[in-house]
Amino acid sequence: MSQNNGFDPKIIAYVCNWCTYLGADLAGTNRLEYPASVRIIRLPCTGRIDFHLIVKAFESGADAVLVSGCHPGDCHYTAGNFHARRRWTLFRALLDVLGIEMDRIHFTWISAAEGRKWQEVVTEITEKTKALGPYRAYRRICEGGA
Amino acid sequence: MSHAIRKEALRALVGSWLAEGKRVAGPVAVGPGRVLYQPLVSPERLLLDGFIRTVNSIKAFVFPRHEELYAYRFRGRQVELIDAPLPEEEQIVIGARPCDAAALPVLDHVFRWGTPDRSYERRRELTTVVTLACREYDDHCFCTSLDSGPRDERGSDVLLVEIDEETYEVVWLTSKGKDLFVRHTERADRKGTIGTGPKRKFDAAALERFLAENFESPVWETFALRCLGCGACAYDCPTCHCFDIVDEGDRHGGMRVRNWDSCQFALFTLHASGHNPRTAQAQRIRQRIYHKFRIYPDKFGDTLCTGCGNCSRGCPVHLGIRPVLEAISALERKPQSAPPKTP
Amino acid sequence: MIEALRELARRLLAEERVRVVIGYGQSSPQGPVHPLFITRAEDAEQLVWNRQCFSNLTAYLTRKDVRALGPAAVVVKGCDERTITVLEKEAQLERERVFVVGMVCEGMGDPGLPKCQVCDRHRPRLADETLGEAVDREVPALERYAALEAFLARPAEQRMAYWQEELARCVKCYACRQVCPLCYCERCIVDKNRPAVIDTSATLKGNFAWHITRAFHLAGRCVACGECARVCPVGIDLTLLNQSLARAAEEAYGFRAGEDPRVEPLVGSWSPQDREDFIR
Repeated sequence: MSQNNGFDPKIIAYVCNWCTYLGADLAGTNRLEYPASVRIIRLPCTGRIDFHLIVKAFESGADAVLVSGCHPGDCHYTAGNFHARRRWTLFRALLDVLGIEMDRIHFTWISAAEGRKWQEVVTEITEKTKALGPYRAYRRICEGGA
Repeated sequence: MSHAIRKEALRALVGSWLAEGKRVAGPVAVGPGRVLYQPLVSPERLLLDGFIRTVNSIKAFVFPRHEELYAYRFRGRQVELIDAPLPEEEQIVIGARPCDAAALPVLDHVFRWGTPDRSYERRRELTTVVTLACREYDDHCFCTSLDSGPRDERGSDVLLVEIDEETYEVVWLTSKGKDLFVRHTERADRKGTIGTGPKRKFDAAALERFLAENFESPVWETFALRCLGCGACAYDCPTCHCFDIVDEGDRHGGMRVRNWDSCQFALFTLHASGHNPRTAQAQRIRQRIYHKFRIYPDKFGDTLCTGCGNCSRGCPVHLGIRPVLEAISALERKPQSAPPKTP
Repeated sequence: MIEALRELARRLLAEERVRVVIGYGQSSPQGPVHPLFITRAEDAEQLVWNRQCFSNLTAYLTRKDVRALGPAAVVVKGCDERTITVLEKEAQLERERVFVVGMVCEGMGDPGLPKCQVCDRHRPRLADETLGEAVDREVPALERYAALEAFLARPAEQRMAYWQEELARCVKCYACRQVCPLCYCERCIVDKNRPAVIDTSATLKGNFAWHITRAFHLAGRCVACGECARVCPVGIDLTLLNQSLARAAEEAYGFRAGEDPRVEPLVGSWSPQDREDFIR
């Protein structure tokens, strides 16, 4: 953990209660190790993941954001993840035009059975974010004042 | 005999202020035909002619759109309060319009009334206003209808009046202003001359009579349908000074801040109970006119408007003060006729 | 065209088919054109039609005080009429209570606004009555999004730097919101304070949050009338934000807001086939 001058990225993970959250839990019970850089926030469904939460994460000093839910067709509420998928497609275009670093926003489908995928995803995102360094640009916005 | 400064020398002087680390603000072009008062980074960007008025006003330099009042932090069951530091930096506003500068003494009444507003007071002391008398006007200007004009000296520390294409006459009005210019001017045998300003657009006395009797009047409905209820008029206005105080923070603590607000917003008067005493845009338009031309004068003896016309210039649907006052003026001239039916 | 418009307005009011005609007026021949509300047939001559009729008048259709007048006729250009489709789809107006007067438009402003130069809807298609003659031309998406393309060609840091400079000027007068025909919420999320989602302060932080919100709440809905950018007192080009979303909608779903009254709103519907190449 000491590479990159000891930079320990802060990653906010918004996860669905019915799949990814349980997948992360499974990773734990299976003793699969993954970096402690991720802060999990459990929500009832990816359909509930308002875009404000992504903005809020960056405002609160996140270096990366992960949004994760059920595979298409597996939504506990039938179509929450389908709705979310459309919203993210559009939202990414908006963030891109604003010059938000797109390498810091990740979307995955991780089921309750995919503890290993959770481990892989978190490890990979952590490494990627370490390579990118702290998200100073958004911090500057937040400290910019009037 | 008068004092004068060549335009090039003025620009160099601005450069020297910046080099000394002073905060200097002035008109800057931010887009085609759009000039705003902005903090200057270099004297080259300062724009002194070729436009009628800036979109915004200089009030932002004494009454910023966002101001931190104090921070709060939760420590267990205790709340710790941390005062926001008062401003310390001197600032110079150059190229202000007389209608901008004249707004400052008007704003003083309210900010110095009762408990003086410390940060306003401090900013006011730290600010030197170098005003440029107006040679040009547009249809929106109506300073002359309010006993003001293109070389109104109120609120200015220095007044620059163009002598010719190369030179300004420098009239210092305060010692603060004199200090800035005294060793940088030359003697001139000519004085700057300026026209008489825009033609009078309405009769202020008639307006006073009208407001005394017409709190309830169909005229307030005249423009209400068209008004979109945004805050462009108030935020571009040199005298509008309403603000909202809010807390921004999280469970660890935060900041109590003061932000500009506008009486044209529907939620401006919304009570915590859910009741809103001004439910219609007509009432909000009436409020803006009454506050400027009756309530404020009654309380402080000064009109809360300098006739700059910015409210009309910035209005998405071309309303603002002047069209309303013109309509009232027309009514006063023909007291029997009904107000125009179609706004 | 102008006489036909006045005649139509006169007729609609005289026959009591509508109570108000929302059109354009001008206080003097050189003066700016502004929205005008005609409630008496004899006032119809005040209506004007020229290249300064920028406003998207459909913004007034959802306003309480305008609705209170009764059934309305509204003058629209090809770009504006798309809003009516969206409003109807979102159950914000009963189409039969609105008489839509379509004006064939050769572009607004002189030279024409950027949106007019890539306009493919000179002739309204959904109006109850359309005045004027013009032929539409197909404009490829490439051309319609040329400004966006050029902007996206800059590196991300430069785009971010651009928005930091632009949004620093925003004073949150909310003219962009108030003028928008699709920002019809009675209470905007930015005005909600229990809990407060977005800082009301016009700081860079609050301004980013606000402009992300404004643009995204119009995702798949914005019809690119460009009013938000036109009325911005400090000249922030909000169309770039709107366009980014519009292009994504067109590219990913072949969707253009307000174009086809039969198509369901984009956000709010879904398909199992929606692409997801960015999701792992």
